[in-house]
Amino acid sequence: MGLRTRMRRWWLARVPASETWTLTQRNIYILPTRAGVVFAATLVLMLLASINYQLNLGYALSFLLAGAGLVSMHLTHGTLRGLTLHLRPTPAVFAGDAAMLEVVFVNPGRARHGVALHFEGLGAHDAGSVWSDVPAQGQASAQLSIVPPQRGLHRVPVLVIETLFPFGLFRAWSLWHPAATVLAWPRPETPAPPLPQAGARADEQAARAARSDGAEFDGVRAWRRGDTLRQVLWKKAARSGELVSRDTAGHAARELALEWQAASAAGVEQRLSRLAAWVVEADRQGQPYRLSLPGRDLPAGRGEAQRRAALQALALWDAAA
Amino acid sequence: MMVARAWQRLPREARDTLFQLGVIGWTMLPHFAHLPPWCVVMALAILGWRGRLALRGAPLPRRWIVGLVLAAAIALTLWSERTLLGRDAGVTLLVVLMALKTLELRARRDALVVFFLGFFLVLTNFLYSQSLLVALSMLVSVWGLLTALVLAHMPVGRPPLAQAGRLAAHAALLGLPLMVLLFALFPRVAPLWGVPQDASGRTGLSGSMALGGVASIANDDSIAMRVRFLGPVPAGEQLYFRGPVLSRFDGREWTRGVPSVPFAQRPQAQLQVLGSGVPYELTIEPSRLALLPMLEMTPDTPGSAPEPQGLVAVQRADAQWQTDRPLTERLRVSAVAYPEYRHGPRVEVPGLQDLLALPPGFNPRSLAWAHELRDRAENVGASAEELAALLLAHVRREEYLYTLEPGSYGRDAVDEFWFDRRLGFCEHFAAAFVVMMRAMGVPARIVTGYQGTDPVPVDGYYVVRQSHAHAWAEYWQRGKGWVRADPTAAVAPERIRTSRNLQPRPGLVAGALTTVSPALAQQMRRFWEAMNNRWNQWVLNYSRGTQFDLLKRLGFRAPEALDLVYVLLGLLCSASLAAAAWALWDRHRQDPWQRLQGRMAQALRLLGVNVSAHDPPRTRADLVRRKLGPRGATLASQLEALDRARYGRGQDGGTGRLALRRWWRGFAREARVVHDAESAARSATPRGSSGAPLGARRG
Repeated sequence: MGLRTRMRRWWLARVPASETWTLTQRNIYILPTRAGVVFAATLVLMLLASINYQLNLGYALSFLLAGAGLVSMHLTHGTLRGLTLHLRPTPAVFAGDAAMLEVVFVNPGRARHGVALHFEGLGAHDAGSVWSDVPAQGQASAQLSIVPPQRGLHRVPVLVIETLFPFGLFRAWSLWHPAATVLAWPRPETPAPPLPQAGARADEQAARAARSDGAEFDGVRAWRRGDTLRQVLWKKAARSGELVSRDTAGHAARELALEWQAASAAGVEQRLSRLAAWVVEADRQGQPYRLSLPGRDLPAGRGEAQRRAALQALALWDAAA
Repeated sequence: MMVARAWQRLPREARDTLFQLGVIGWTMLPHFAHLPPWCVVMALAILGWRGRLALRGAPLPRRWIVGLVLAAAIALTLWSERTLLGRDAGVTLLVVLMALKTLELRARRDALVVFFLGFFLVLTNFLYSQSLLVALSMLVSVWGLLTALVLAHMPVGRPPLAQAGRLAAHAALLGLPLMVLLFALFPRVAPLWGVPQDASGRTGLSGSMALGGVASIANDDSIAMRVRFLGPVPAGEQLYFRGPVLSRFDGREWTRGVPSVPFAQRPQAQLQVLGSGVPYELTIEPSRLALLPMLEMTPDTPGSAPEPQGLVAVQRADAQWQTDRPLTERLRVSAVAYPEYRHGPRVEVPGLQDLLALPPGFNPRSLAWAHELRDRAENVGASAEELAALLLAHVRREEYLYTLEPGSYGRDAVDEFWFDRRLGFCEHFAAAFVVMMRAMGVPARIVTGYQGTDPVPVDGYYVVRQSHAHAWAEYWQRGKGWVRADPTAAVAPERIRTSRNLQPRPGLVAGALTTVSPALAQQMRRFWEAMNNRWNQWVLNYSRGTQFDLLKRLGFRAPEALDLVYVLLGLLCSASLAAAAWALWDRHRQDPWQRLQGRMAQALRLLGVNVSAHDPPRTRADLVRRKLGPRGATLASQLEALDRARYGRGQDGGTGRLALRRWWRGFAREARVVHDAESAARSATPRGSSGAPLGARRG
């Protein structure tokens, strides 16, 4: 590991994690770019030519550009100064899919142009970088995609906000470590084996599954979270003013048991993948299911909330616990 | 309208590229007057090609094609300029390079190279002219280049050009004070190395002459120098101020043909003076040329030779006075001139044959005519003087017309002038005379310089203007040396006798304006002259002398170059300090509401109520009530009042700066009371009494 890498690590470790990041003189760095150095060399050359040819207009031109260059340093710094950044909550994704981080810039001052946002370690002109303009007294948001390689809770890596505006002679930047995480569910196995059948023969279950949302009318009950729109008895709801769902016998009685032991795959991660695939499939079919992992049991349920709870349990399950 | 709409519809890439090409073309424009034609055609063709590619969104040409064009350009430069060094060749190459670089605008880095080359191209324009007009047009160029630079750093959407232009102008204007400061105080120093012989051609005495070159300075009525005669004033036709002597002719241009011998080893001018001397004094304006235009003939003898302060002046073999560096300051020299003199070798010497050379293939009719004249029976054995007299008689007899606007001449300029058009001014007459003399076997050369002065002296000083620039001829007569012949005098004797300077006819627009409204025309001319004068005085002639005058006005008794540096550094340092102070203040500047929250939290903490920074006053009031009980009731109600004022619906006085201050005064007083009560209650503990009076903190 080179000295440079180690220094960078040390430096990155110094960046505290925070919910919001206000750019001030304390946390904005600024250095001339290579173009800035070349520009300075050009100016020196022009000044030498002016001296040697005794060109007063040459002096004037060199000094005009020098003045504009120096002012551009302040403008570059001012492009970042005063901005406040915060991160919108990032929706969870399956491992290997892209999660969208949405960073919001809040600008209390003048309009800002050419502000780039990217992960630390990339350049402003690399593919993964997003450029935005922030209107005066307004907001703008930039979306960065991050791909979590495996399941679990991932910390959002250090972000770099930088600008070269207006002349590209100076680069001002700031490092922000957002105090936020991205949840990655286990990637569902494809193709996955069929759902395990709880308490009934497989063909019967399959037949029921084909009828899916229950053509048989078994009864009426109050709407519960997780009931699909198709289960709602709209006519009745319109009359009574309360949401009521039809209660299908199959759903109420026959719930799926997604069990650790049933998912007989090679390793821990593969098992979790299979369970994830089953959760997705069961949710698609609208069947209630419960999930049991060693040390973690999720009671039966269905719908979006159940799906999220199940996937989160899979994502965060720790063999050691 | 159509164009505007099409422009609006262009994709951003294409629009930006076309804008850049326009700026580059505009920057090159002033160069087109003196670039070789192939270079102009090539540069325009490449820019056009690039524009077409941009409009179609087509890919850029391959690298090797660009390389091939570059090689061709270098070869053409070598062919037309015979060198790759020096001002003209350098500018030719720079223009081609600039155009070619636009074909390589692949990455952002390439774009930046184009901008920096562009700034350099702007500078090269000043090598040729520093007039107000060029300065204004280059200001537009710089603005355009900065705008393109800003555009390159606004990657989002399709920012309007006007917006980018405004941002660029904003940056430049903010930098203006620094520019003025540096311009005024940056010490003007002598050239660091060498003497650029091809320095700015503001005067006609630039060391070369192409037919038409003098006419371009005839418009320049600025003062070249002032002359004061300490004895008798010579007649007008004797006032020849000697500048560069041109003896090499390549068919297009006359140049100094003397091989570059090191400065000290140059042969002495063989000068023998006769008669009585004319003591005189010259005050030469900064010409940025390394020469002294002395009155003919000023010999290099003690008492007669000029001794300029701070310069080394040497007389060349061709009797012209040369300095070791260009004149950047107004200079005063005294010398003695001898209107009667003998100059040059009396007998034939080896070098003389060089002055017979004529470029082959040029002006065939003139050569034939000259041979025919010399071979006539009556002219056999005629001396150089007799041949010169024949030529002058011919010029006088035939209808040659002296005019400042003869139009442009083609390749065989002398043929055209001598036989067809017969229109010209001093350059044409002198060049034709020298070509004819050489064709007849007489060594001859062109002398450039000034001729004559303003007729009426001002305070004893006769003014020589740039428009007095003149070209005449010298031929070699065995036994006498070099003899002056001024063929212009044969046609327009009044030009010489009364020193009427070169005056151009008014242009078409000016002429029309004069007929419509003479008063307005005169007013405008006066305004233009005043502007030009100020430009010359404040910008072009701003020199070390002017800087020292400025320092004297600032209170320096005997200013030096170092003082300039001190003043400059002092000003820059104080400006930086002021900026730093402002930044510090700006950092600590807080919203009054935020500041109040901070102070309030501190005061409450001293009372033992731990509030967090983000609690609103209402929450703090609750905390105070809980912690202090009845003793804190007033404080709590004060806090609640503040909360209502801030978040309630428009009653209770609001939370302006003044209202907040009033509120704080009441709150601090109450806090002090509570604090004292607390201390009294806990007087047993020494810590309790040491609390600082809260209200004593700045309110």
